[in-house]
This record gives sequence, structure tokens and C-alpha cells, in this order.
Amino acid sequence: MPKIEVYKKDLFSYIGRSYTDSELEEILPCAKAELDGVDEEQGILKIELNDTNRPDLWSTTGLARQIGLYEGLYRKEYPFFSSKESKKDYGNRIVKVDPSIKAVRPYIAAFAVRGKGITDEGLKDIIQTQEKLCWNYGRKRKSIAMGVYRSDLFTYPVQYRGADPEGTSFIPLGSDKKMNLRQIITDHPKGQEYGHIVAGEPVFPFITDAEDKVLSFPPVINSSEIGAVQVGDENLFIELTGTDFPSLLLSASIVACDLYDSGFEILPVKIVYPYDTEWGREIVTPYYFQQPIAVDTEYANKLLGTDLVPEEMEKALFRMGIESEHSGGSLTVAVPGYRNDFLHSVDIVEDIMMGRGMDTFSPEMPSSFTVGRLSREEEFARKVKDIMIGLGFQEMMYNYLGSGKDYIEKMNVTGETYIQIENPMTENYEYVRPSIMPSLLNSEAVSANAVYPHAIFEVGKVAFMDPKDDSGTVTKNYLGFLRADSTEGFNSASSMVSAVFYYLNREYSLSDTADHRFIAGRSAEIYYNGKRAGIFGEVHPGVLENWGIQMPSSLVEIDLDILLQQGT
Amino acid sequence: MEFDVKSLHPLEIKLLRHAGEGDEITADRIMTELSFKLGQCNQAFSWLSAKGYLKESKRISRILYEITELGSEYREKGVPEARIVHYLKTAGPKKMPEIASALGLQNKDVGSAFGQLSKENVLKMDTEKNVTVVSDKLPERTAILTGLLEKASLDKFLDDDLLSEAERAVLKDNSKKRGASASPFRVIERDDVQYVLTEEGKAVKKYLLEQGVTGEEIGAVTPEMLASGSWKGKSFREYNINTPPNRVLLGRRNPYGEYLQWVKDKLSSLGFEEFDGPLVETEFWNGDALFMPQFHSARDIHDVYYIKNPSHTKKIEQPYLDQVAATHENGWKTGSRGWGYTFDHEFTRRQVMRSQGTVLSAKQLHKAKVPGKYFGVARCFRYDQVDATHGADFYQTEGIVLGEDVNLRTLLGLLKMFAEEIAGAEEVKYVPGYFPFTEPSIEVHIKHPVLGWFELGGSGIFRPEVTKAMGIDVPVLAWGLGIDRMALMHLGLNDLRELFTPDIESVRLRRKNENA
Repeated sequence: MPKIEVYKKDLFSYIGRSYTDSELEEILPCAKAELDGVDEEQGILKIELNDTNRPDLWSTTGLARQIGLYEGLYRKEYPFFSSKESKKDYGNRIVKVDPSIKAVRPYIAAFAVRGKGITDEGLKDIIQTQEKLCWNYGRKRKSIAMGVYRSDLFTYPVQYRGADPEGTSFIPLGSDKKMNLRQIITDHPKGQEYGHIVAGEPVFPFITDAEDKVLSFPPVINSSEIGAVQVGDENLFIELTGTDFPSLLLSASIVACDLYDSGFEILPVKIVYPYDTEWGREIVTPYYFQQPIAVDTEYANKLLGTDLVPEEMEKALFRMGIESEHSGGSLTVAVPGYRNDFLHSVDIVEDIMMGRGMDTFSPEMPSSFTVGRLSREEEFARKVKDIMIGLGFQEMMYNYLGSGKDYIEKMNVTGETYIQIENPMTENYEYVRPSIMPSLLNSEAVSANAVYPHAIFEVGKVAFMDPKDDSGTVTKNYLGFLRADSTEGFNSASSMVSAVFYYLNREYSLSDTADHRFIAGRSAEIYYNGKRAGIFGEVHPGVLENWGIQMPSSLVEIDLDILLQQGT
Repeated sequence: MEFDVKSLHPLEIKLLRHAGEGDEITADRIMTELSFKLGQCNQAFSWLSAKGYLKESKRISRILYEITELGSEYREKGVPEARIVHYLKTAGPKKMPEIASALGLQNKDVGSAFGQLSKENVLKMDTEKNVTVVSDKLPERTAILTGLLEKASLDKFLDDDLLSEAERAVLKDNSKKRGASASPFRVIERDDVQYVLTEEGKAVKKYLLEQGVTGEEIGAVTPEMLASGSWKGKSFREYNINTPPNRVLLGRRNPYGEYLQWVKDKLSSLGFEEFDGPLVETEFWNGDALFMPQFHSARDIHDVYYIKNPSHTKKIEQPYLDQVAATHENGWKTGSRGWGYTFDHEFTRRQVMRSQGTVLSAKQLHKAKVPGKYFGVARCFRYDQVDATHGADFYQTEGIVLGEDVNLRTLLGLLKMFAEEIAGAEEVKYVPGYFPFTEPSIEVHIKHPVLGWFELGGSGIFRPEVTKAMGIDVPVLAWGLGIDRMALMHLGLNDLRELFTPDIESVRLRRKNENA
């Protein structure tokens, strides 16, 4: 979830009032936001935004907008949106898209802004918006990347095209020498971070002006001249490129609304495509592409458990910044240009809920009767645990992930059927536990200082490969137990197995086994109704040595699922 | 006098009863008169002195001589000088090595004995190096040494104070302080302490006599006593109930497991039925079925562990795969416009470690009863740096409620019930939340008597994109509770890693805080 930093001073001035920290904590839920920290010295609030579908909230102005609307202190019209019905004046501001880019990164949206010189805080906020939008919403620049430029330094029309990676070069931001596009993705820090997005393409995205002066190599890096925005700049050009057109248009609209709210005039730009898009070949951005969405008021009331009349719903939505009107049993909503999170009418219902305020909904118990019940496995596990406790064992609980060293090497096994994690964070958590035995031995290894005898058990899950299942794996409920004492050995383990089966009222038989975890001739496989249901024996001194254990130990492991399957 | 006789050991009782008021009490006396062993004597002295019933009246430093193994051998076979003279008298003149081997002595011992005796004109050596007897009158010290060996074997110790000058002179040459195997005597320096009864000691003694406490009371009752009836007519020693007891090792539950069991019992008593599932899941159930778009940043919330092999499941159950895929792409028949991208059928079969308990809820949907309430306590796995607040694997408690009467207000009612029944909350607050699979979404914050305000859990009404794709038309509440924090508090812990500690002793000693 994105976290942003906002200057208190700016946030309060945009909203139109100031707040104490505890007042903020009260009001932030209207934006599904939480106060994460306060830097009093710098006057900075750290805020966590929980809704990943509301990128419009990830900036100072965006957050201020939601709070201001909710508080009734703020309501702005955004006059710069073009739409299917009306094109706003774009002057000479044109971006020409070349067919060569279609297969690589087909979409671009752009606009220019004019205003009083941008402040340090304002610049930081734009950079933050850009980062959050492109990272969290734009899949780490893969589907959305954004660039900001000094519009005084170039000439329209701007060109967006595919460029030859080797034959095209310019001086990127953060460097003082000319590099070709291929060099940038291998040598420049930003190239190393984002170059992979385009590295496999025959041509790389490239933006220049009418005179071939370079703006940027999206989604990687701006040019060092036109693309180096500074405090005090009055005229800026903003473009966004990407692969997902609606998300791209939305992001452009969000940035435009943010800059408009902070005092800039928004100057639309016409994009000319040589190929068809969802919104035609010529589109003036910022563009309002959202469709009205309707909700059945009865459905809304059913979900909320309320009897609201349409006017009350409209009022609630208005408080969330949403215009709506009803006709019959249907409420139609005009989605704000900076939002696109209404996938289903249920999304309107949530905004009605928030606009009403949580206090207005009184809790009520569901009236239908249902029977509560534990699973069979849980009930059986409890029986087994009772027996183990009666036998003097301490119940343990262990992690289900571990290392190949513990699960394979120290156990003297080959581990072919063990489930390995492809992307382990560390080698300590690289395998899924195939057996409880290594967990128990690890306990023994770290507990030599605990008074003997040691008698420990766990009833828990293990998983390993199993070709019989579609997934190729199986998860099972196992009982494992270990005893360690100066006189411990096979006979004691055998007695315990006998007691467990007696009190579970199940018959078992034993068969010899050559398992390297145990001393040869001192281990046995347990069979129940003809199925292998476990193994036990005296742990091989070589295994004990691997674990650094100096106390004779016995181990037992029983597959509870098999015992339960055919149980009585 | 009020006195607790249980504070006295039978040895102490016997000693106090025996000691006369003016007596000088010594270890030797007590050992003789009460048949105590020296160790018992010293224990009784030390306990009684610590209690102030005895005090030291005199301390005498003594030098004692104790016979060694070599000394015992001398006593049995004779001292070497006497043996040499005796041997030569019978066997005639012999060379020194012959003497040594005949008598089983060291050459050097024979040499030094000869040196001494030749000076005293008892032995001499002829020109052929044969030793011969000159006079059979052995020096006095040989007899003295023989006498001392005899005496020491009877009395165990020779007291330096009681020895004559001549005896002392002999012992000087025949004793060593430490490691005295090469000498017939070992020197022991010892302080002999004399004690007298203090006033308190006298009072206790009087009390013991009055009460008839003898120190001969029965301690452990034996089967033999019971069989023979020998206990009859005797009294039983009273024990000190405050003596620290011995440690008992017992079988017991893991307190965290007990807590989870309590939660499960609570939920089933509230009408919830338990469900469970495998640890290895598919991207389909772990995310797609929950309407989390395959490439959307919402999936950043749940960074997952991938399975290396088998990397993909063979197939996903139909018609759910097609319905979910269509819902993602265009909303299918759910009333949604969908996410508007091409669903990846390869990715959806990718196998992962279950990263959220909600998976179980999603899988339960198509086989659930309506109305129905379900819960599961599911082990989940996240790609997280392990620290005090993040585990590589951990439990999540999750569930669903299906029914025609399910709505936001019944959701709030359910959350209130959890807050009160499971968390013992004093106050409850509801805050709008965000989860990709619920709309509306609610977080419940509670004021706990110990922990103060914190987030108890997340919840919401499953999006129609989730339920309809599973063939469910009634609203479904989904909820999850963060019970680990309460578990830590119940156990007096503050580190999640402690919940799965392998350390036997710390689990053995762990207790639940009933008041928290």
C-alpha cells in the first residue's frame, strides 16, 4: 500500500482549515487513509493510503480534495477535460505518434501547465505523485511512466516514436555525456532499474520536439536539458506513456487535477495517432473517458441494511464528491474525472456508506440459525493430543518452512519429493516441511540445557510431492514425537506407539525398514489397514551428530489422515 | 516456648537432646556416643550453629598422622630394614640387586637402607660387593616405626600431641603431606572445634525433652512397615512444608495451541463450521478467484512464495476457471465491467504457498450451505523479512457468512460479537477499509482493556465478482481476525517468533496470563 509524505501546511491550506493530529486521525478514514507518523520538525505527515484503486488520493492535493469535499469546505470544477462530445482548445500543442511505436508502448497522453513558479514543496509533490502513480498503479512503470519537462525549451509538435537503440543518443539526466539508448539501459542507474521493460524490443520509445531536440526515453529517463525541471519554472509539459490506455488517461487526469488544485492553469494537448484507439485517432488530453454508472437503490439498501430514499443517497455521494441523479429506482452516478474505481454498482454502495458515515449504521445480529462444528481432523487431533499429554509429552509448535540443510543434509535423506520454494528470501526458509522429525530434532539440538528427560510432540501439517494429485503435492496432518534421555531407545518408542494406537482404538502392524535416519534393525514402519501410516525408531548417532545432539533419542511419526480415513 | 520442631532435622534433634548443658561438644564425642558419621556430625554442627543453638567454644589445631597403603604393606610384611637383615641372616651374603628382587623392593630403597644400616654397623659390604650382616641388633627406630604402624592401624590416626620425642623423630622421616604414597604415613592438619549449647540451644533442648521429641520418629513410610505393622505405637516425623519442592516434568499443551483451540471453540459455539485446506495453492485460488487482477498492484500486498516443482497444477476446476477468467476480462454475468485485460491461463495454474486465509473462504463458496457460517485457522506464508512482527509463516483466522439477511449492518453486528466475545473489547469502532475482494470493506478497531485501541480485523461483503463467479447469488460476509497480537498478550510475549520457538524449556515454562 502506498505511503506518502505531505507538508502539513500545504495540506491544511488546500483543505481550508487545520487539524490536530487526533482530528486528522478522525477524518482520514474518509480517504481510507491512516496517519502513519508525524515529523514535527519538518512539518511533514506520513500517511498510508489503503485503497490501491484510488491513485487520485496519493498526493497532497488529492488527499486534500477528498477531505475538503467530505468536510464541505471545497468543491472545484475541472474545466479542462475534453470528452467525446467536446474538445478543449489545444492551441498549437500537438503530439504526433509514429506507427513504429505501436508494438512497443502504444499510448501517450499529455498536457501543459502555466502558472506562478513552481515551489520546492510543489516540485517534491509532483515527483512523489509520479513515483506513486508509476510504481504502485503503473506496475513499476511497465504500464504507466510519466515525464515532466520545461515547455519553454522545445517546439511543438512533439514526436513520439520508436527509435533505434544503437543509433539514437542524447545526454540523460544524471549524466554529463551523450549515451545511446542501449548504453543507457546497461550503464545508467535508471536504465538498470527500468531498462528491462523495453530491452527486448527492436525499437525503444523516444520523445523529441519538432526540431529533434530530445525530451526523453520513456519509461527510463528524461534528457538532461528539457527534462530537468527546477524550482521557479512557470511553464511545464507533462506526458505519460504506457500500455494500458484507460489507466494512462486516468493518471494524466489525476496529475492535471492535482496541478490545477495547486494553482496552475491546465493547457490541453492533442494527441494524433496513426492507428485506431478505443477513443479514436485524435484525442485531446486530459480526457474524460468515464461512463456513467447506475445502481439500483433497492440493491443499495439491501446491501447496507437500510431504508434510504434516493435523495439521502445522492446527498451521501455528494459528500464524497460525486454528482448523481435518480430516476425511478435507479441512481445514476457521474464518475469524477480523477477516479475510475467504479467497476460494479457495489462500488457506489461503498461511497454511499462512507458519505453517510459509519456512525449512522447500527450493528445488528444475523438472524439465521447455523450449526457450529469443528472439522473431523481437528476433533481427531485433539484426541491424539490428549493421549500424548497423558504419556507425558510437551506439545510444541513449529514453523512450516526450513532449510535444505535441516530437512535434507542433517537427516541423511535425499529429499527428492520435498517441495522447494523458487524464490526463497533466505536459505533458512527454502523448503516446505516434509516431516515433523527435523523440527523435533532441531528442538532437541537447541535444548540440551533443559532438564531431561525430553518428551515433545507436535500435531501439525507437512507437505510433499504426490503425483496422484492434480497439484502434484499433498498436505497431510501428522503426529510426530521425540524422546531424548540417557536410557532412550527403540523399546521406549515402541511402547509409546503401542499406547497411542491402543487408546485410539486402532490395530497396527510393523514391518522392517532400512531408513538411514535410524539405526539399522532398530526402526520400523507402521502399517494401518494395509497402508503405511508411519515410522519410528532409534535415531542414528550419525543423524544426532549432524544436529549436534549428545543424548540418545527416539522419533515417531504417524500419518493421522490415514488413521482417520478408515477410522471407526 | 513456642517452637516449630519441623525446622529441625533428626540429626539436630538427637544432638541437642544428647549434649549436656556445660559439655564441650566435639565431633569425636558425638561420633562415639551417638554413632554419627563424621559427615553427619559436621552437618549437624553447621545447621545448629547457623540457627544459633550451638556456638564454638574452642578451636584446637592438631597434627595427625594417617597410615598410607605403603604403611599398611610395611605393617604386614615388616619394615624394609628388618626384612633385609632377616633375609641376609637366612640366605647368607647377597648382592644388592639380588636382595631387591628377592624381597620385591626397589633397588634405591635397598640402597638407602644399606647406607643407613652400614653407618650403624649392622651391615657391611665385602670386596665382592656382597652385603653381609655384622650385628643382628637393629636400631631402635625400626622398632619404633613398627610400633607406630601397629598403633596407627588400630587407632586410624596418630595424634602428634600424644607422641614421644623419639616417635616424632621417626615420623618426621616417614611421613609426607601430600601424595604420600612413597611414605608409610600421611600428615593431616586438622582444626578440632569444640561447641557449647547457647541459651537458645538450651531452651530448644528443654522443649525437645518436654515434648518427647526424640529424632527417632518415622520418616518415609515403607511397604515393609505397613506389612509388619511396625509403625504402630511410633510417632511420625513432621516435615517442613516450606522446603522447596523438586521439579516435576509433565506433559502439557502448548499455550499458543491452547489459545487457538479456545478461538476455534468460541467460533464453533457462535455457529461457525470449520474448514481447512492444503498449504500449496494456485494463483487461481490465492488471487484470481478473489478478483485480484493478475498484474495489478493490489497483488503487491500479498507477495508470495512460488513452488519450484511442480510449478503448475495440471488443471483448475471448471466451470469456475472460465467464470473467473471471464469476470476478470469483462465482468462475465456479475454486473461488473471487469478489469479489462486478457486473463493469463498459464499464470493462474502457477503454484504458490497459500498467502492469505481468504483462499479457504473462496474455495468454500461453491460448496457452502445457505444460510451458512464458516471459519478456518489457516497457516499462511509471506515473502517477508522475518522479525518480531513478521513470520515466514503464521496463522490467519478467517471466515464467511452466507445468507439472504447478510448486509452491512449484520456485518457490523458480527464484528461487534467478535470484538466482545473473542477480544473482550470495551469499545468498538468501524472504519472504511480496502480489500480487493470485498466492497464495502470495513476494518474493526477495538479498545482492549490491556492493549488499548488496535485493529482487530478486516472484513467486508464479498464483491459480486467473487461470489457470482463461484455460483453464489446471496451476499457473503468475509472476515479475518488478527488474533496473534492477542495471543502474544495472553502469553506475555512481544515477539511473533516466540510463538513457534523450538526451545523446549521456554515452552515448558510458558503460562497463560488469565487476567490479560
